[in-house]
Amino acid sequence: MHLLAQDLVNGILAGGILAVVALGFSLVWGIMNIINLAHGAFIMLGAFITWQLFTSFHVDPFLSLPVSFVVLFVLGYLIQRYLINWVARAPVLTTFLLTFGLSLLIVNIALLIWTGDTRGVTTAYSGSNFTVAGITVPWAKVYTLAAALVITGVMYMWLHRSKTGRAIRATSMDIGAAQLAGVRVAQIFAIVYGLGAGLAGVAGTLISLSYSLNPAMGQPFLIKGFVVCVLGGLGSVEGALVGGLAYGIVEAFASQIDLTIGTQHISGTGLQDAVALVVLLIVLMVRPTGIMGRATA
Amino acid sequence: MSTALRKIGLGGITGNRTALFISLGLMVLLLLVPTVLPGYQTLFRTILCFVALAYGWNIIGGYTGYVSFGNMVFFGLGTYCAALLSARGIDNLFADVGLAVVVNAAFAAVVGFPVLRLKGHYFGIATLGTALAVTDIVGNLDIFGGTGGLKVTQVDEAHFAIYYYAAWLVAAGAIAVTFLVARSKLGYAFVAIRENEDAAAVLGISATKYKIIAWAISAAIAGAAGAVYARGNGFVDPSIAFAEDFNVYPIVMTILGGTGTVAGPFVGALILSGVNETLGHTFLKLHSLFFGAVIVLVVLLLPRGLVWLIGLRGGVRTWIKSLQAYKA
Amino acid sequence: MILRPTAALGVLALCATLAAPSVPVAAAGDTILFGSAVSLTGSLTKEGHLTQEGYEFWKTYTNAHGGIKVGGKTYKVDIKYYDDESKPATAAQLAERLIDQDHVNFILGPYGSGTAFTVAQMVERKKIPMVEGNGAAEKIFSQGFKYTFAVLSPAKRYLEGVLDIGKHQKPAAQTVAITAASDSFSQEVAQGAAEWAAAHGLKVVYNNKYPDTATDVSSIISAVKATNPDIILNAGHLQDALLVHKGLKEQNVPAKIYGYSVGPDTPDFTNSLGKDANDVLGGAQWSDAVKYHGDPGFYASAKDYAKAFEAAYHHRPDYHNAESTAACLAFQYAIQAAGSLDTEKVRDALAKLDKTTFFGILKFDSRGINVFKPMVVNQIQNGRLVTVYPPGLAEAKVKYPAPPWGQR
Repeated sequence: MHLLAQDLVNGILAGGILAVVALGFSLVWGIMNIINLAHGAFIMLGAFITWQLFTSFHVDPFLSLPVSFVVLFVLGYLIQRYLINWVARAPVLTTFLLTFGLSLLIVNIALLIWTGDTRGVTTAYSGSNFTVAGITVPWAKVYTLAAALVITGVMYMWLHRSKTGRAIRATSMDIGAAQLAGVRVAQIFAIVYGLGAGLAGVAGTLISLSYSLNPAMGQPFLIKGFVVCVLGGLGSVEGALVGGLAYGIVEAFASQIDLTIGTQHISGTGLQDAVALVVLLIVLMVRPTGIMGRATA
Repeated sequence: MSTALRKIGLGGITGNRTALFISLGLMVLLLLVPTVLPGYQTLFRTILCFVALAYGWNIIGGYTGYVSFGNMVFFGLGTYCAALLSARGIDNLFADVGLAVVVNAAFAAVVGFPVLRLKGHYFGIATLGTALAVTDIVGNLDIFGGTGGLKVTQVDEAHFAIYYYAAWLVAAGAIAVTFLVARSKLGYAFVAIRENEDAAAVLGISATKYKIIAWAISAAIAGAAGAVYARGNGFVDPSIAFAEDFNVYPIVMTILGGTGTVAGPFVGALILSGVNETLGHTFLKLHSLFFGAVIVLVVLLLPRGLVWLIGLRGGVRTWIKSLQAYKA
Repeated sequence: MILRPTAALGVLALCATLAAPSVPVAAAGDTILFGSAVSLTGSLTKEGHLTQEGYEFWKTYTNAHGGIKVGGKTYKVDIKYYDDESKPATAAQLAERLIDQDHVNFILGPYGSGTAFTVAQMVERKKIPMVEGNGAAEKIFSQGFKYTFAVLSPAKRYLEGVLDIGKHQKPAAQTVAITAASDSFSQEVAQGAAEWAAAHGLKVVYNNKYPDTATDVSSIISAVKATNPDIILNAGHLQDALLVHKGLKEQNVPAKIYGYSVGPDTPDFTNSLGKDANDVLGGAQWSDAVKYHGDPGFYASAKDYAKAFEAAYHHRPDYHNAESTAACLAFQYAIQAAGSLDTEKVRDALAKLDKTTFFGILKFDSRGINVFKPMVVNQIQNGRLVTVYPPGLAEAKVKYPAPPWGQR
């Protein structure tokens, strides 16, 4: 029982990061209909920015959050405005391929700059923890979850209250109508993609606290981001949060599975992905647009 | 029905003839590889498997418009079909392919019922999820050899080229199936579903039935390719059977070449491999970087795929005009 | 109108480039050409470079010192590389190309068990000998291959030394928890550790695997903590070793020994973890503290090798460098013993090889793997890697038990 409680806590903490990873990805996919395969690369860049600031200037990772956000936002904005925009209205597969190529480019440039060495960000408080009711809770992960909740909250507010935010949501619902209402679609797209990249950068910063860095590090997060997005519902901020937490918890609980059928030993720890994915399929059967998704596809 | 389809803007869905003839010509040339370029036999055998996979994917993704990110699961299951037959002492390529086709078509039909009800992006992720889940499960079960994998019996070196020709036959079969499907009622049904699933229903096309058929065909082709690959490779384990390349590259090739065309996957497969190889020769360490750059350039300059370029009338001006069509 | 045939020609031209074979760097009259597919890009970039450095170091030395004498004639050596992108399938294709297209004499192995396996299959078909130093999975050597030889100790041995150390301490360690990545190499390491523990009276209280691509291992760590083990072992790769170690600290999991199959030997491990890396034990194929004495004709002692290597590459050699150099040495001795470049004669000479080098003994069992060389165990002490096992080669005493987290 006590182990289950620890798993729950572990799952929630892990889910926080997944939520931030999925958030940027989901916005771009849901609003612009672009599957941004370069998202993993952006995460990696955010992490490396944090590492560089930490190693060269001793900047605490949480303080580098705004830096990685801004740098990646600008990068994303420029990439969308001057590259992706050429095919922004193309079928989703075209942009899929484009972002695939971009991802390769960015990862390999990173490889040139930072080499294949594995790096880590180890702060004074990394590893420190507190215990409550027999459950050990690492501080760094708590800060990360807090940051994730704040970021999600801010994004939600901004999308629903601010002028630009409303323009974005209008564009996602109906491009033609939005244009008629005076929205400059190209500009909106660039902002959204920039946001997606910026959020990826933020995710990278948060990830760098527990996960080691190398140019290829974004890949597993990208794949999980895919699943979490859909699990929660595309294009929805709440969806990314719910999806991330749900995925984290399911993965954590999956590790408790321990069966032996005949001579076959089945251990949940090796099947974490499979279990989470089966849960995803079940959710999609019941709610085809994700837990919090809207009715329109 | 074809008149009705033409009314919503669907003309010849076979792509264009020039590209098709070039592809067929190159396919014939590929028969010479084991004798003329023995050092590249394994490479081309793999490319042929990619070609088959690309064609398989094109049926569900290009023609029917249901973008699947999980077709590699059929390829992987196909490899295990061959491996399991080999473990039981049955070493016959026809049996391998036959079993792979049956198993995968059935698997696609069964999984397709629930999964094909999802639309667009959700379908894509559900297929990805299925593929990843199956990869995990297979890797954990002892009958599949777990992560250690299974050995696959092969013929001796003197007869080894048979695996190359088998792969060639599977690829040729995939092209033939696509060609036949494209010109048949099935093909029109697929495209109708892609363009407007609801309108298609009104025209009397049962979306569920045809979607499952499309996915089953796609799965069968992928499975056949897997079975042949397993024999050629001599070994199967989850990292080989469900390698990410088999998932991403067929999609990339088909998009590069042109989705929903007959020649597209082939052209895309060759160009992609050609570029990859040339870069590998020229730049030992930077080839991945240039490869990414090439893909970006090709997508920006030829968003409709290469086959479109080959059949283009009107020269440079039409091409430049086409670039404006997708801008936001 | 111009576009159509031009485009068609373009397509054909590109395909022709693919078809055009590279200028074959065939074995010229007085050069022995080795071929090697190494991971210069992809997930194993770092290790691939280390492998290449090890090969190049030997090549430079040999050519500067008169090459290899075969049957009265002196040959220079050259190595042709291709990048296998850390993909086993690509490695096999490249091996085929090196053999059938570039006409290399022999193959030097890639990095990693997965890639080594596919290349081993290829060289077996083509009957070209390969010596590798970077693929320890026994899976490679249980297929009956005759043309592949590995100079390194098998995967199952990696963590045995760590367990042996634990058993001989006072108070002796009694319980072991094993966490392993799901790839076949790590699984073999874990299996070897579990078997050794069972055979020597240590109780395995936890033994589970996690997916290769895991981004979070907290649940496993919680489960390990609940079993309260004396020894915690991890069989994985650098990325997950770091994840596990950080996780152990985060959840405050105490243990007397922390042992990793991969990690401590890489500077990246210590650089990433700082003080938390202290007192961690790692199994290694070699360290520069070993006291073997090799033949003249190459650096005789580990310390000489290390010094020269560091001068050339500006970093201390780790065992990946050393085992790669050793693979080349194995070929050198075998070629000299065979007195010919004939592949069958060299293969037979390799099978009979029995030489001591700076790396240790180079000798292969009937399956082709070097079971005769013991593994060493290194410990990170005050940020430095020192060898603590086997007792005859140790340069420092083991620090045991590991102090609580926060006191390192």
